[in-house]
Amino acid sequence: MSSISLIINTGIKNNLRSKITLIIYIIVLLICASAMVISISFLLIKPELGNKQPDKLMLERYLGVILHSTSLITIGIYFNSVAFQSLTREKSRGIIASLLATPLTAKDVWLGKSLVIFIPALIFGETFTFIVLIILNCIYFIPRTGFLINPWIALSSFLAAPLIYFCLSLMTHLIGLTGKPASAGAIVNIFLPVIVTLSINLAMHNILDVNSWPFTVANLGIAAIIFIITIPLLRRLTNENIVLSG
Amino acid sequence: MNPAINIKNVRKTLNSREILKDISFTVEKGDIFGYLGPNGAGKTTTIRILLGLFQANSGSVEILGQDINMSQTRKKIGFVLDADGLYDNMTALENLVFYAHIYEMSGTEEIIKKLTSIAGLENRISDRVSTYSKGMRQRLALARAMIHNPDILILDEPTSGVDPSGQIEIRQLLINIAQNEKKTIFLSSHNLDEVQRICNRIALIDRGEIKLYGELEELRRGMGGGTVLIRTAHNIPESLHYELRNIVSFGLKEKKGLDLIFSPSEGTGVSDIISFLASHGIKIEEAIKKEASLEEMYASILKEVET
Repeated sequence: MSSISLIINTGIKNNLRSKITLIIYIIVLLICASAMVISISFLLIKPELGNKQPDKLMLERYLGVILHSTSLITIGIYFNSVAFQSLTREKSRGIIASLLATPLTAKDVWLGKSLVIFIPALIFGETFTFIVLIILNCIYFIPRTGFLINPWIALSSFLAAPLIYFCLSLMTHLIGLTGKPASAGAIVNIFLPVIVTLSINLAMHNILDVNSWPFTVANLGIAAIIFIITIPLLRRLTNENIVLSG
Repeated sequence: MNPAINIKNVRKTLNSREILKDISFTVEKGDIFGYLGPNGAGKTTTIRILLGLFQANSGSVEILGQDINMSQTRKKIGFVLDADGLYDNMTALENLVFYAHIYEMSGTEEIIKKLTSIAGLENRISDRVSTYSKGMRQRLALARAMIHNPDILILDEPTSGVDPSGQIEIRQLLINIAQNEKKTIFLSSHNLDEVQRICNRIALIDRGEIKLYGELEELRRGMGGGTVLIRTAHNIPESLHYELRNIVSFGLKEKKGLDLIFSPSEGTGVSDIISFLASHGIKIEEAIKKEASLEEMYASILKEVET
């Protein structure tokens, strides 16, 4: 087993055994995601389906907004509730310094720790988003219009949104490892509401079509920008900076 | 033959403050080396350099003749840092297996069994580390440090924060490891009693400089033979007391009832003092030569530095 996968397995196991953290995550996730899904469903989808001739494009747009936002929210909340709390704990407990004193490199630790958060966030997030897709189709769409999913929104929700968080995980873990995990946490805390509010507003005001390829490309572009910002920060990734920041 | 650890003219500056000022010392194979110093003296920085966590600004650091930054060299070192580095939500067994895999060990079952038995944790191996006491955590950290059968153990204050009975257990464990497992141990501590009990060589660092370095026994001898307590059968007359005080080489420090405490200078033996007293008709009940304790050496070096 490679050293990175060892860090990932152990880190995920260690994090997921913290029951309180998991309970907080599930409660916050259910409150935030359900509120968004239920309000759009009741305020927009249900009235549209009440029309004699429901606008399929409009329904696809509403579904697109729900799926994309659900994906961003579920992954983002996992980051908020688990990532930086766990990084802070591991730094203060000397886990990070201990790993660096083994044959592992600072890059192994950075990649490992980024994936420790991203992999479960991806699994929880995408499973939840998929469940929302199935439930909404079963309740609203299949009886009236048939199964509804646009390929571009599928790509944006199930590939591009997670990719944004993967790049964000790389960047924030780099900042958290070489500096204060709280600073990295603040970035995610700001990023999540801004990007969700922005995409919902732009889509609802017909400025941005979530079911189009430009939206998917825009999401991939955000991921690319975050990744590009991360590259120069890599110079700070040294054992010394990591240990001193603890 | 290469020494276990060889530090030569190492300097380290952090945030424009010189933490290590040209330090040099050698730790031979099989040594239990005590690295002493007050808080902020540079002990942890030295350890971080030895473990490749910090890079020295100048000078060289060799572990068994090899550069510390080589992956192969790191496999020869086991360590316990100031924070134990254990995963709280994992069991002791999972922690040990994880580090065994990091060091690419195979057939870990036997070694884990042996180490948990050495550390006295065989009955708690399946418990989460979060349920362990501080002493148990430190013993587990020591077991983890030896999981890959390293030649050298580098330990940063392994008994810090541990209760007295836990300290005794850890000390005994270290002695067992050194004797039975034939490891070189580099032990940083500010617990002088601990170092005195288990170390054969020491270095004393203060404000980034090595102030004292060598075999503990030699250093004790070099500190002027320690103190001598002579108990007389009856009180000595005031005139003799005055005379004794004027013989500088005897170094009379104190007179407490029938006890006379001397700190003789180099070249003056206990027999010289006894002969002098006998020549004045004083009967001696008891004479005890007390070698300089590490605490006395430590205090005297630090006092010298301050003055």
